[in-house]
Amino acid sequence: MRNGPDRLRALNTQKRVEVELDEHGVPVIVTRETGNGKPIESVGETWRIDDEWWRMPIVRRYVEVILEGGGRLVLFEDLMTGEWFAQMPT
Amino acid sequence: MTVTPHLASDSAACCWIPLFALRSELARRPEIASLPVALVAPDTARPPRVWQVAPLARRAGVKPGMTVSQAIGLCPALKLCEPDPVHYDEQFARLVAALVTVSPVVEPVELGRVFVGTDGLEGLYGSPEGIIEAVQMRSAECGMRKLPNAECGMRNAECKDKRREANDPSLKFRNPHSAFRIGWGRGKFVSWVAATRARPGSAVIVQPGEEAKFLASQRLAVLPLDPDTHRRLLQLGVKTLGALVALPEEAVVSQFGRAGRRLWRLAAGLVSEPVVGRVVPEPIVAALTFFTPVGERDLLAHALDKLVDRALGDPRRSGWRVQVVRVHAELEHGASWLVEATLKDPSATREHIAAPLKTQLERSPPAGAVERLVVEFTAFAPGTAELQLFARDAGAAARAGRRRALQSAAREIALRIRRPMLYHVIEVQPWSRLPERRYALIDFEP
Repeated sequence: MRNGPDRLRALNTQKRVEVELDEHGVPVIVTRETGNGKPIESVGETWRIDDEWWRMPIVRRYVEVILEGGGRLVLFEDLMTGEWFAQMPT
Repeated sequence: MTVTPHLASDSAACCWIPLFALRSELARRPEIASLPVALVAPDTARPPRVWQVAPLARRAGVKPGMTVSQAIGLCPALKLCEPDPVHYDEQFARLVAALVTVSPVVEPVELGRVFVGTDGLEGLYGSPEGIIEAVQMRSAECGMRKLPNAECGMRNAECKDKRREANDPSLKFRNPHSAFRIGWGRGKFVSWVAATRARPGSAVIVQPGEEAKFLASQRLAVLPLDPDTHRRLLQLGVKTLGALVALPEEAVVSQFGRAGRRLWRLAAGLVSEPVVGRVVPEPIVAALTFFTPVGERDLLAHALDKLVDRALGDPRRSGWRVQVVRVHAELEHGASWLVEATLKDPSATREHIAAPLKTQLERSPPAGAVERLVVEFTAFAPGTAELQLFARDAGAAARAGRRRALQSAAREIALRIRRPMLYHVIEVQPWSRLPERRYALIDFEP
């Protein structure tokens, strides 16, 4: 998303996704805004980020997943809103 | 043995355009003049830093030397521009070339600051005021200073518009001529300090014998001080050059050593460093005699390339760009052929220099086979694309060359796809834990 002609354009911005979880809260299916749900084959590392607590807190739970077919993706759950997003692995 | 004439002058006019690079950028891109703009530093340091800052951005707290992420944090609307040192250097070279027509003794110091030696010009222009007027007129001719209405021949309505423009701070800032300041005095230091005291578009003259009086009231910062010496002097209560000179010279020397002596003498107006000009090189000639006379144009074009290369490699050419090139050929049966090209943009690259010659070769080829071909560079302009006034070291010059090639490719791409598709990746907060904050794209605008 571009903010305007004279602004910086952030790289690797998060994209909204739908994530189905199993009974342990582990992602099993991820659905992008355009496309069908893709099963998750395996879950790698998970980590949590707490940042900017002094103004608008950012709390995220990151999960690195391998999709069926081999694609690697990083998902995170915004723990303030409960929404899920995808980001490219860095 | 060749004797090199020594071009030097004790009296000096210092011509100064602060923030020359930024002003050149805004003059080229007036659409961004009303935005808070800053130039990114031209070196490849990481993280990238801000180099020159426009007043609007400065008001928002952006300062030179800040990292880009700090600057954006302070001014989210900041418009960052990629620097184009080659363009700035070309603009500066135009100014220097114009000043050479006033005096043969011209010493560029940095982008936007150049000393003109004025010894002996009294016969041509009269008093220092007359000399300064000549400098101003020449700089106006190359677009660096605005002509008064009467001189520029502008109609009243046009001039009113211009005056309205001149009152708009953002528009005013983008015009390099609006900031052209001149200082005149004995030696480079006095003239430089005088230029810093001049109002934009005007001049300050320090008459001979009045140097000490003029310098006494100037702030310490006009001296070439390192930050530590500056701080120590301020702690000693020395805030002006007069206060420094009031101290015994030996006391300053005992505190600050040899540098202290130089500072004391500069402050007292006792040091008068002359302006030292460069000698314009003699014509450079490269010639080739063919074993058998050559009539094929391809072969002649190839020979032209080789000769231009050879002439460019002449050590006398270093630091100069070629403005006028001439080719003459000795033909069979005693005839001859001559073409001359004046380059609109002086150049030091073979392609640019050879192109007009090859065009002439196609249009009006020699009337017979060529026995001997001679390429001659007959006029030069200061500065070269490889070794610029601005980027004196080879590394910086190479970077500037690569940037220019990239810009040329980018312009072609923009022409073909008609929308901005090229970006420059810039580190914003590479340490951030949030991936989307680490890097960003800015438009790559050639």
